[in-house]
Amino acid sequence: MLDFIKKNQTALMILVLILSLTAGTVLNHKIRHLRESEAFYRWILAAAVNERLFQDDDDQSEDALLFERCTALAENYAPFDNSPREAGLSLLGSIAQNYEDDKRIWSFAESSLAKEERIAFLTLAKGQKLQFATDIEYAEAQAGGVNVFNLFFGFRKVAANLVWLEVDRYWHQGNVYRMQTLMRTCVALDPQFIEAYLVGAWHLSYNATAQLPDTPWPQREWNARHEQCLGEKERFYYHGIDFLREGIRRNPRNYKLYFDLGFGIYKQKLEDYPNAVKYLAEAIRLPHDRWVPRQLFICQELNGQYGDALEGWKDYVDRYPGSMTAVEVAPRFIMRNEGLLFETEARLLLKNAKSTANPGEAEQMRSQAAALWEKARDTWNALDDPYGEGRKLMMDALELREEGRYLEAIATLDKARWDTGALFTEFSALIMEIKQEAAIPLSVSEKKALLRESEVGLCSGMPEEERQRRMKSAETIESSFH
Amino acid sequence: MNYLSSAFGGPWCVAVYTYREGIRRKLLIGFLILSLLVIFGSSFITSFVDPTAETDIDLKLIKDICVTAIAIFGALITVYISASVIPAEVETKVIYTVLSKPVSRVQYLLGKFLGIQLIIIVNLLLMGGLFFMALYIRQGIMPTLLLWSIFLTYFEFLIISAFTFAVSCAATSPLVPTLQGLFIYITANLTEYLKDVEHRAGQTGQFLDEAIGKIATALYSILPNLQNFSIKMQIVNGQPNDPPTDVMIPWLVLYSLVYAVAGFACAYLVFRRKEV
Repeated sequence: MLDFIKKNQTALMILVLILSLTAGTVLNHKIRHLRESEAFYRWILAAAVNERLFQDDDDQSEDALLFERCTALAENYAPFDNSPREAGLSLLGSIAQNYEDDKRIWSFAESSLAKEERIAFLTLAKGQKLQFATDIEYAEAQAGGVNVFNLFFGFRKVAANLVWLEVDRYWHQGNVYRMQTLMRTCVALDPQFIEAYLVGAWHLSYNATAQLPDTPWPQREWNARHEQCLGEKERFYYHGIDFLREGIRRNPRNYKLYFDLGFGIYKQKLEDYPNAVKYLAEAIRLPHDRWVPRQLFICQELNGQYGDALEGWKDYVDRYPGSMTAVEVAPRFIMRNEGLLFETEARLLLKNAKSTANPGEAEQMRSQAAALWEKARDTWNALDDPYGEGRKLMMDALELREEGRYLEAIATLDKARWDTGALFTEFSALIMEIKQEAAIPLSVSEKKALLRESEVGLCSGMPEEERQRRMKSAETIESSFH
Repeated sequence: MNYLSSAFGGPWCVAVYTYREGIRRKLLIGFLILSLLVIFGSSFITSFVDPTAETDIDLKLIKDICVTAIAIFGALITVYISASVIPAEVETKVIYTVLSKPVSRVQYLLGKFLGIQLIIIVNLLLMGGLFFMALYIRQGIMPTLLLWSIFLTYFEFLIISAFTFAVSCAATSPLVPTLQGLFIYITANLTEYLKDVEHRAGQTGQFLDEAIGKIATALYSILPNLQNFSIKMQIVNGQPNDPPTDVMIPWLVLYSLVYAVAGFACAYLVFRRKEV
């Protein structure tokens, strides 16, 4: 045997060469398949997050149409059988919600069943017709539109970093518009540059608008995409939102982007709590830091989801029993949400008692409401902080209102709102409600507050239908003034 | 057992002395020092970033610069050492002494090749170690994804090293195979463009046009494609437990080993008739 090998060393080596090149060809084919599947998989994740969070119902883009094909195909994919489906989402979209199911999506993306869709994806990506796939290197290489130097050395990420240094320079020079363009170049070079999205959106939503006054309504213009009247300052907020959305589509598994969108912009800047809850809830689906759920629970409370916030805080305490937040902060929030829940239920029962025709049932409801009302009062007493004091004063005011002592109720609330800054908006709204109920004239600023410009304000470029709706809404509100 | 020890003992001795010789080369040490300086200096580039923004941008800058420095200097070290080991021995006539010992040509080549790999691994470990420390000092946690990136970088170098070694077997001085090695590195990174040629070919319907397309297809299938290793950049800044990456890594290792065998076979076929 050894002699045979020694004698035929050259022939054997030629055989080894042929075999290794053949194996190399097979492996080339396999890795090509894996890379194409990888591109397809990442596009599926991006399209799924788009379907879940951003897509309009009548979206006819190539991405939406191809995703529709993929979702139809996924119905026939055996490993997806018996997978739970979320309301309003496709099967593929439902599975893609959970990052722990990424392996299942990957197995679908590389399966032979999805071959035709994969080919369709590559053809569209090559033609640069898919907006969520434009960052995929494979597609770009195929399109031949990438600088050769960058591509063969694969140093696009370094180039992105250098561009970012320029963005930073422009920011310090105050060149906000030029900075925006460069920021887009930066993320085009490196779509996984998470910090560029985060810092970029922060610049746009916070720093760029810091010196700008709110745009007066007559100077605003209708923005069809966001269905809002926006001025220069307000547009920056939405540029920030768009930038983060782009980041989310390209990096659907990074919680920081959802967090910044939900907390940084929707909560802090726009005070849009439903959207803040929506994105923060997405953030906690992914591996996240401890402070992320805390912000979600605060937003849930602000959005009136006291039950969810309460459950969340309790769960947080169970998860991190010894932490400072669990010991010092969470108990206060738990009590707050418990108190708010008692209050809400009591007020609902009283409202139902008024509307019910059955006197026995009404009486029962009233007694239940009284018990809950007392529980709420006990909770605020136990809380023993300015917030609890404010709530107690509000309860006193509501009791006075029930007795028809409107002026005293208003005076109590007025004191409470100045004592507890966090409750100012809520109590001011309640004062206006009581004034309207008692036919007490509203002040000029109160009338202005009721005619909220976001609801009745008019701006140029507004569609006629919207203009009419707002004008009608203004008339209805004005007719309620005494 | 005796056969195994004589079959692998010889190559191992050659590998060890190749390593000892190679690691002393001034140019190699120069590349290494330069790369270490770039890795060390990457920490200072963060001073260009806005210090008021509390972000991880500085960390990303360090990661990208270091991975790139390792890729560039590592490739230069790989090409230089793979191209110079055999021609240097021919030049200094040490090869005659070695081959007069009971060491066959294939054993000699295997030893040289293993010695080159040892040098590359040690250099990579030095660069990677410094990078690892730079990240650990800043982050405070073990950057484990970085290890995967460096691991893949080695297998990319293995392919470059094998084919550069093969061309160096035909040369008598290190200069030409070094240039050829750089050419291999560049072209192997451009293999992806053959796919583009394949797509564009055949549009005129002329014979030559179609033939070019077919040749491009064949070359695209056979030639190693170093762009497959670009996920090493992705890994460093990416998320752990990414399914495609997890699947791709073992396939890339196998891919690299297969082409390393092909490169070594080429080296043997070139070297077997060499007059020494």
